[in-house]
Amino acid sequence: MTTLTLIFALPLLAAIALAFVPRNFAVIMRAVAVGVTFVTMLLAVLMFWRFDAKAEGYQFVSTIPGLGAESLGIACKLGVDGLNVGLVLMGAIVAFAAACCSFEIKSREKEFYILLLVMTGGILGAFMSLDLFFFYFFHELALVPTFIMIGVWGRGEKKNYATFQITLYLSIGALLALIGLIALYLQVPADVRTFDIPTLTKFFTEHPMALASQKFIFPMLLFGFGILVSLWPFHSWAALGYCSAPSATAMLHAGVLKKFGLYGLIRVALPFMPQAAQTWMQILAWLALGNVLYVGWVAMKQKNLNLLIGNSSVAHMGMIFLGIASLNLIGVTGAVVIMIAHGFLAALTFGLSGYIYNQTGTLEMSELGGLAKKLRFIGVAFVMAAMAGCGLPGFLNFVGEVTVFFGAWAQPSLRVVTVLAVWGALIIGAVYMLRAVRAALHGPMPEKWADVSDANLWRKLPYALLLASLLVFGFFPKLLTEKIKPVTEQIVNMAVVKAVVAEKPDAKNPLTPALSPSEGERENRRQLSGSFGAAGDLIPDKKLPIAKK
Amino acid sequence: MKLEALPWLVLFLPLLAAGIITLFTLRNKTVSATLSIGAIVTGFVLTLAVIKFGGWEARELSVNWLSIGGLNVDFGLKLDALSLMMLLIVTGVGSAIHIYSYGYMREDPGFSRFFACMSLFTFSMLGIVLSNNFLQMFIFWELVGVSSYLLIGFWFEKPSAADAAKKAFITNRLGDFGFMLGILTIFAIVGSLNFGTIQELLKVNPALFGASATLAGLLIFCGAMGKSAQFPLHVWLPDAMEGPTPVSALIHAATMVAAGVYMLCRAFFIFSPDALTAIAWIGGFTALLAALIAVQQNDIKRILAYSTLSQLGYMVMAVGLTGPTPAMFHLTTHAFFKALLFLGAGSVIHAMHHEQDIWKMGALRKKMPVTFWTFLVGTLALCGVPPFSGFYSKDAILAQALHAHNYPLFAVAVFVAVLTTFYMFRLFFVALVGEPRTKEAEHAHESPGVMIWPLRILALLSVIAGVMGINKIFDLYSSRVLPPFTYEIPVGEFSGAVKYVGRLLEPFQHAPVAAFGGLIAVVIGFLAAKVLYGKAKTDPLPAKLGALSRAMANRFYFDEIYEATVIRIHDTIAAISDWIDRWIVEGFCIGLVRGGTDLTGRALRLVQTGNLQTYAFLFVLGVAVVLWFVLGK
Repeated sequence: MTTLTLIFALPLLAAIALAFVPRNFAVIMRAVAVGVTFVTMLLAVLMFWRFDAKAEGYQFVSTIPGLGAESLGIACKLGVDGLNVGLVLMGAIVAFAAACCSFEIKSREKEFYILLLVMTGGILGAFMSLDLFFFYFFHELALVPTFIMIGVWGRGEKKNYATFQITLYLSIGALLALIGLIALYLQVPADVRTFDIPTLTKFFTEHPMALASQKFIFPMLLFGFGILVSLWPFHSWAALGYCSAPSATAMLHAGVLKKFGLYGLIRVALPFMPQAAQTWMQILAWLALGNVLYVGWVAMKQKNLNLLIGNSSVAHMGMIFLGIASLNLIGVTGAVVIMIAHGFLAALTFGLSGYIYNQTGTLEMSELGGLAKKLRFIGVAFVMAAMAGCGLPGFLNFVGEVTVFFGAWAQPSLRVVTVLAVWGALIIGAVYMLRAVRAALHGPMPEKWADVSDANLWRKLPYALLLASLLVFGFFPKLLTEKIKPVTEQIVNMAVVKAVVAEKPDAKNPLTPALSPSEGERENRRQLSGSFGAAGDLIPDKKLPIAKK
Repeated sequence: MKLEALPWLVLFLPLLAAGIITLFTLRNKTVSATLSIGAIVTGFVLTLAVIKFGGWEARELSVNWLSIGGLNVDFGLKLDALSLMMLLIVTGVGSAIHIYSYGYMREDPGFSRFFACMSLFTFSMLGIVLSNNFLQMFIFWELVGVSSYLLIGFWFEKPSAADAAKKAFITNRLGDFGFMLGILTIFAIVGSLNFGTIQELLKVNPALFGASATLAGLLIFCGAMGKSAQFPLHVWLPDAMEGPTPVSALIHAATMVAAGVYMLCRAFFIFSPDALTAIAWIGGFTALLAALIAVQQNDIKRILAYSTLSQLGYMVMAVGLTGPTPAMFHLTTHAFFKALLFLGAGSVIHAMHHEQDIWKMGALRKKMPVTFWTFLVGTLALCGVPPFSGFYSKDAILAQALHAHNYPLFAVAVFVAVLTTFYMFRLFFVALVGEPRTKEAEHAHESPGVMIWPLRILALLSVIAGVMGINKIFDLYSSRVLPPFTYEIPVGEFSGAVKYVGRLLEPFQHAPVAAFGGLIAVVIGFLAAKVLYGKAKTDPLPAKLGALSRAMANRFYFDEIYEATVIRIHDTIAAISDWIDRWIVEGFCIGLVRGGTDLTGRALRLVQTGNLQTYAFLFVLGVAVVLWFVLGK
């Protein structure tokens, strides 16, 4: 078996194996879940390490024989390129952390760990799948356990309502996306019909999709995937759902599973339907602002720590959408970076709030306070997470956010949105994150928390791991961006250049002025390139000839 | 070892120390303190070595940090007269304060955490100083903000400290919001973030920024407004005094708050004349406002905090008056004497068992002689009495105002000098001389050696810094950023021992109006303080000034105004959003789906009547429609 097959199959096989273990061996369940996710994580790290940023196309490609249907063009084909290699790594690390944080589960451990492993295998499979069918199928495989886990092991009074709501929303989102994907599949002539993503990419590059179909399919995917990612105004399932979910579920869903919709948008919707993408991006940017600003304000007003974190997670999605909406290399790369950063961060914050909940039995901020005195490690980790959440340099989130700002700013039509998004990220983010720290950790400690205890070495491990991931990539962002860049460049070129060629064959200016500096600026740069070697190629001019054809 | 490695070591040693303390030595006080102090002292020595072997010439070391499309961000070190001098100040004053902290924080349970945060701060501050591009500076800018947050909130159990930390961070973020937009604007126009590249581009084409020149400059200035606590973002600095006193000395007097001024000097070339005028007036206004408030404060640290605000206003004003040299000169001397004053105040507070009200002190000369005399030196330097350092740097600013022909600001600056002397001698007469006002004051005792030696060293620097030729070094930098025609060649240097005598008297030859103006201001301020507070038992001013005094004591109600407007409005918007989210978005979407399903169900139930005739009718209708569809076409 190849590395990729192992990464996705190990958790699923372990889940099947656990089904045969008698239910009173809870320790075994936990050990198997932690062990298997640990091995998966090691494999993912290995894969990330061996990934060659310079090579073109997909790497580690392997097909699992027996799965799929040849007549329909379905095959279980796995592979990674710069776009998903980081996501798979992040997913595997978060899965291990989630398994570690599941000590809080005290009933029906067998079912819980089976579902957790199914979720892990499903989502990793969805990210690695190069087949549109399995891409969708694996996501559903991971999604269904989410509902069950919230319903059975969830907490709080509104648990049932939360389950109902999240199921309803996500099913509708998935349904819309499914309609879009099927319609997309039908765009290919019957004799060459396939679900194979590389083939489809090649096909749609050579035969651009009819504008009418694009206009129908793109919104389906945009809103289908958008609902899955809690795009404003379809976001209200998220905070309550995460608030009611057990820690591990919230970690995996908010951190990893939610990125599926974004990944789908970037992998499928943008490159296959460039013209429609162009027309929708302005709207998407304003919806993204709904996430960043409006949900940020909502987060400011929450009284429950988990609702606050949940809303902040929704707000962060807005930054990713804004990056996508900028539709240029800088912005989309930034979006992918935030996807990875937010995965680590969401897992970290939900894991920490879960720890606090297990110690105190409540997350109402008026009841908490002064916990930093007792929970030294958890307190420090929480402050660091809050700082990462409001975009502090040093953490990966900053790299992503700042890159998105630069990308979005390069689109003059998005300037207003960007200004407001910077406000949301720098000010509102800081206000609610520091409020959470102030309410939960600082101030005098109520008597009743005198015997809460800090995490021991084993419990610290998942948090330390997630923090380390954020810091390592935050200090050395090139580890990620050098891998992401070639792929996003390709996607953006497909989305932008093609749209320009198709819509305005005689256009003097391409739609993204960021890629075409005005004459005066270019003049400056030319003058400079004599004395300052590097300044000459500040903005690659090589795309201009294509656009000017 | 190669010379190029030294600046990197200077920068990263404190980070290393912070990391090791956090991860391994939280339990061992001595090791933590040794690591932290060792890192910064080594940094100071290495900086001296860099200057000794490399000189003041401008040079740059950099590696690429991030590169996506047109966005190239370097992680670089820019070494020139400006940054090297600033490096000396940060590591030098920082070393003294680190050593002092070892005594001051001895009993605190969070001792190791304190030193970890101090080292983190040092790293961030050095990062700002060494940055060679805007984004890198922004990165360290934010890191400085967070270390300040951690240190203000060091005693986080105290609600006032926790609130002050939060307030400082968020107010700084307001400034950073503008800073970020400014960086985005500049990048969009120039396509580069490197200081050197932008400056060269501007040299080639001065109209590069076109219509957005002033806007870009003011947005960048917003960053300085936050960090250097300029009006209207000045409210966080006095609250920041909730932190331990060494923190106030290092961060909120000597270094971090000066970062804004440093940044203005570093990016001086991007400011348009209009932007500079605005900067000058904001600086002047802040200086005046803060000095007025300081007159009616009773907390020793708050008086010093407002004094810091006022002096920062001076520096910002100097930059606005196209004088980076006077600004940096004053920054340097201010770092010495304000750090000294804060550490002296800390020594007093330490002796008085954490009493900070000046009306509960008094008669400390006999009990704390070193603290008393060094505090007096600091006071004289701050007031600008020759030959103390403050006189020379303040004089440079006054002269700059005259040189720029901005007489209103000159008048403001002189008036602020009067107020400065007044409030400092008010503090001096009330807290340090006269009769002991409380039992604690009677039983005060001198601080240990580890605390008073830093006082002595800083006092020495406060005396001599004015004639050491610091301004000449900054001139090396200024001559490169100022357009040649506005730049005045400094008065010729003497040589040998005469050099220092020459410098002692230089202000009187160079700009006598400014020098005598400053002197007269000191005399007026001193006499007023002597008359009013020489023997006062209580504060006579409230009775004399009435409402004005109350307004001064209440900081002109800025906190209350912000509370009632900015914060209230933002809060209301948040509350409305929350309400909409709860009752409309959620209710509507869920209601739509649920209601829709429900309605469909009801509608379908109507069809299922159970009536055979209806079914038969519908069946026939269906057949007819199908037939029409098939045959009709």
